[in-house]
Amino acid sequence: MKVLRALSTTVGSKFLVALTGLLLVGFLIGHLAGNLLILLGGDKFNAYGHALITNPLVVPAELALMALLLVHMGKAIAHVLRGRSARPEAYAKKSWAGGPSRKSWASTTMALSGIFLLAFLIVHIATFKFGPYYASTEAGVRDLQRLVVEIFKNPLYAAGYVVAMGIVGLHLRHGVSSAFQSLGLMTNGVWTARLLNFGLLLAVIIAGGFALIPVWVYLFL
Amino acid sequence: MKVFLKVWRQAGPDVTGRLVDYTADNVSPDMSFLEMLDSVNETLIAKGEEPIAFDSACREGICGTCGVMVDGRPHGPDPCTTVCQLHMRRYKDGDTIVIEPWRARAFPLIKDLVVDRSAFDRIIQAGGYTSVNTGGAQDANAILIPKTVADEAFESATCIGCGACVAACKNASAALFTSAKVTHLSLLPQGQVEAKTRVVAMVDAMDENGFGGCSNEGECEAVCPKGISLKNIATLNREYRRALLS
Repeated sequence: MKVLRALSTTVGSKFLVALTGLLLVGFLIGHLAGNLLILLGGDKFNAYGHALITNPLVVPAELALMALLLVHMGKAIAHVLRGRSARPEAYAKKSWAGGPSRKSWASTTMALSGIFLLAFLIVHIATFKFGPYYASTEAGVRDLQRLVVEIFKNPLYAAGYVVAMGIVGLHLRHGVSSAFQSLGLMTNGVWTARLLNFGLLLAVIIAGGFALIPVWVYLFL
Repeated sequence: MKVFLKVWRQAGPDVTGRLVDYTADNVSPDMSFLEMLDSVNETLIAKGEEPIAFDSACREGICGTCGVMVDGRPHGPDPCTTVCQLHMRRYKDGDTIVIEPWRARAFPLIKDLVVDRSAFDRIIQAGGYTSVNTGGAQDANAILIPKTVADEAFESATCIGCGACVAACKNASAALFTSAKVTHLSLLPQGQVEAKTRVVAMVDAMDENGFGGCSNEGECEAVCPKGISLKNIATLNREYRRALLS
């Protein structure tokens, strides 16, 4: 009870946003590693997809991810609304402070990029998970590679996907390092600098890694 | 020199305010920003008009009483400077300067540029203290504290509670102020006894008074006249996490 109440304060809420966000980033890293198998060939990619779909843990894992996403979104939206109501009257003139401030286009657009990513996620799942079923030559194995190639051969979809990954990068550019701050890990100067750089690096690797796939498929497959 | 001002005028909390244009003539570059406002007020009084209300006390940057938004930045353009220590040599003839009060639900406006910052006092009342037994005075240095720790605690203790952090924050969050107090006390043995109850009580008080949450952007740190670091907010988060998980 005490813990639940503490998690509903502004500090506890951001703790939850950070924790769920980092767990979702952990999912993205696994998802990226799996997807990159397509660069190694359709068989390997399809075998990976088959192993994933047929794993009995996949449904509980999906439910857990959905729960993480709901907590992340719910707490983040409440945080934004609370911030707005904490300043009912706007300044006539307001400028960015500059200097050591970490305020960036990424940090000021977290709510917008988050809403975009939710919309993207719905389209993404509809396109791939619930997309057309192609059977592969191996019985009972879905030919996901064919679906991926078919979709990314459409230049509009490929370009749109790359842009969406740019927005993933933007969200993570602030999100990852901000999560470390919310979890109270940036209490000393050396680690703060390391974690800020790590957050940037992770954002670039995840966004760049996912964006590589449509480019690769479009150009080489 | 001459500067043009756009100053927020509002006769009281329940009436609507607006930016009013003034011209400050004969401004000396050696004047402080508040002395420039004093001179404008003298001309207003001479004309029988209501002078611009603003807060100030020590005028040497140590008390935390002054504080207005100057061109959209708390305390004006210079880093680690209160508005009383901002000087008119920073400006040139013909400049236009916009002056507004801190804006936050937790800091209700009293008049013109004066806001009620007693919400900060209520946060302190909730836990910004250490309980000590009365009786004979303890021997000096009976509790030894490493110099590095004492220095770090002192850095946090330099917060003057002016409210610039709240004014700069897009969420009007009091996280930097509260965290400076929590950090200062949690670093020292005298404060560690009540560390867990303190951080919970002060965060509750912060929320009850209508401040927003922290988005970790660090605008507060950049505008703080005492250079209070964002490390303090990380320490607040860490202390809160510890209180939560024990």
